[in-house]
Amino acid sequence: MKRFLWGLLLLLCVQVPSVQAGDEERKLEAVFIGRFASYIEWPARPRERFVITLLDDNPFGSLLDDLYRDKRIHNKPIELRYANRLDQVGETDALFITLSSSAARAAAIDHAQRNGILTISEAKGFAESGGIIQLDFIEQKARIKINHAAALKSGLRIGAPLLSIATVLRGDKP
Amino acid sequence: MFDRISIRYKLIVLLGLSAALALLISSVITIYSTYLSESRSSLRVLHQLTDVISENMRAALAFHDGESARTLLAALRADPHIQFAVVHDEAGQPLAEYRAAGGRADVTARLEGVRARIRENADLLRREDGFVEHIEEGSMIVLRPVFFEGKPIGLLAVVSDTRLLWAKIRELVLLQAVTSVVTLVLLLFLSVKLQSMFTRPIMSLIRAMREVARTKNYRVVLESDRRDEFRDLHEGFNAMLADIRERDDRLSRLATTDALTGLANRRHAMEVLQTMVVRARRKAEPVGVIMLDIDAFKKVNDLYGHPAGDLVLQEVAQVLLASAREYDLVARLGGEEFLVVCDGGTSEVTIAVAERIRAGVEARHIEYEPGALLHVTVSLGVHAAVPQSAAGDIEKMIRAADKALYRAKAAGRNRCVVAQEEVG
Repeated sequence: MKRFLWGLLLLLCVQVPSVQAGDEERKLEAVFIGRFASYIEWPARPRERFVITLLDDNPFGSLLDDLYRDKRIHNKPIELRYANRLDQVGETDALFITLSSSAARAAAIDHAQRNGILTISEAKGFAESGGIIQLDFIEQKARIKINHAAALKSGLRIGAPLLSIATVLRGDKP
Repeated sequence: MFDRISIRYKLIVLLGLSAALALLISSVITIYSTYLSESRSSLRVLHQLTDVISENMRAALAFHDGESARTLLAALRADPHIQFAVVHDEAGQPLAEYRAAGGRADVTARLEGVRARIRENADLLRREDGFVEHIEEGSMIVLRPVFFEGKPIGLLAVVSDTRLLWAKIRELVLLQAVTSVVTLVLLLFLSVKLQSMFTRPIMSLIRAMREVARTKNYRVVLESDRRDEFRDLHEGFNAMLADIRERDDRLSRLATTDALTGLANRRHAMEVLQTMVVRARRKAEPVGVIMLDIDAFKKVNDLYGHPAGDLVLQEVAQVLLASAREYDLVARLGGEEFLVVCDGGTSEVTIAVAERIRAGVEARHIEYEPGALLHVTVSLGVHAAVPQSAAGDIEKMIRAADKALYRAKAAGRNRCVVAQEEVG
């Protein structure tokens, strides 16, 4: 029992920095969502707002609201929406997917491709499975993976500077 | 020292110094303006490079992608003059840096220099159009902020060496030095030729002045075909010679002529007579000497006054000049005493001249006052002979003529008496 308690204490000590690093990564992730949008061209839409929707859990808390309040993307005011299910996702420009089920993610990707929506997720294999941007953090460094073919299929054009710093999948497979 | 050097060398030195000064000023201006334009050009190239990199660096900074930033900076190796480059993220932390392979060992100092520039220009580097450029010994730095969506997200610093700039300046300095030396040599060569334009007329004038000083020949007239100030100098010199000639003539006249009558004075008469006697002796020709005196001249002065006496002397002188031959000497020896020397004059010729004089004076009407006339006569003593010796004969001839004159006076005046024989 004593040995178990010491082990638990040690685990907590090790976990604390990783929790702090996770917060930092989350902040960067929140910032990157808006910055991705700056490098991407959407087909012309008669919308007055640039809509970012989070599908499923909101890992950012109030971070996104704080960050994008009174900000503009493509010269439009930003509107943040939070959806628990795919059928709650209305007209949106960017969809941040936190769905844990690969089947649910595939459905969301399919919906996004049909509606010209930028999909972003940190789920492993997201880009390979048709998502447009997969964002990973390895040792506190961001790694961006872009499925260029998926972006084209969705009718989106990704700027060269973003492509130049990302791992780009030209087909469905890397 | 300088005033001891000949004007010729002064001109060469002055031309050489002027040319050297002009070349020095021209070279300094050229080198400085080249340094300015080359440093601006080098900075412009560095700015262009920084602009291109910062454009591509934006995405790397936006997504904190240090690997991509390093890849972008690594492209700088294409320019061997880029020593060092660093990109800072928005927190001021280095995201990536580039160091030239085999670069200078003082990169750490450069990095500190970059940090110092960033600190000094923090406000400027938060402006989207802001930049910092700086040239220091051995390197030049350009700092440029990277903006994303209107906000600074990082900063790019590129440090280049100035070897290219200084290599160009060194080449230019060398070229200027060689050109200046060649030009100076050519100009000195030309100045040796050109100085003669100025010194030739001066030297010619100096030679002429020395020649005049040596020969005392003031009748020289210097010719000059120039139309500049040297012509004035020649004309001035000629005018000065003319003044000397005129003064000499005037002095000569004053020294040789009698002021009242314009005839030769006693001293000049004796000199001319000496010359005549010498020539006559050499040629074995006779010389005729006539001594004459106005009869009762004291009475003329007493009766009619001295102005009338002076007028009588002038009128008699006119008669003498008219009666003597062109080449005879007519002189006033003093008072009312005159001398006429007939060059080559035989006794007959001399007597004829004397008689012409006597008759001419006797017949002369002298108007001493308007409408008032007077008459005078002269007594003359004549001697004619071939001189046997120079000095002794002159005295003898004059003494003989003088004795004859006294005899003419004693015989009743207004007559001509020949030495040893009397006529008229």
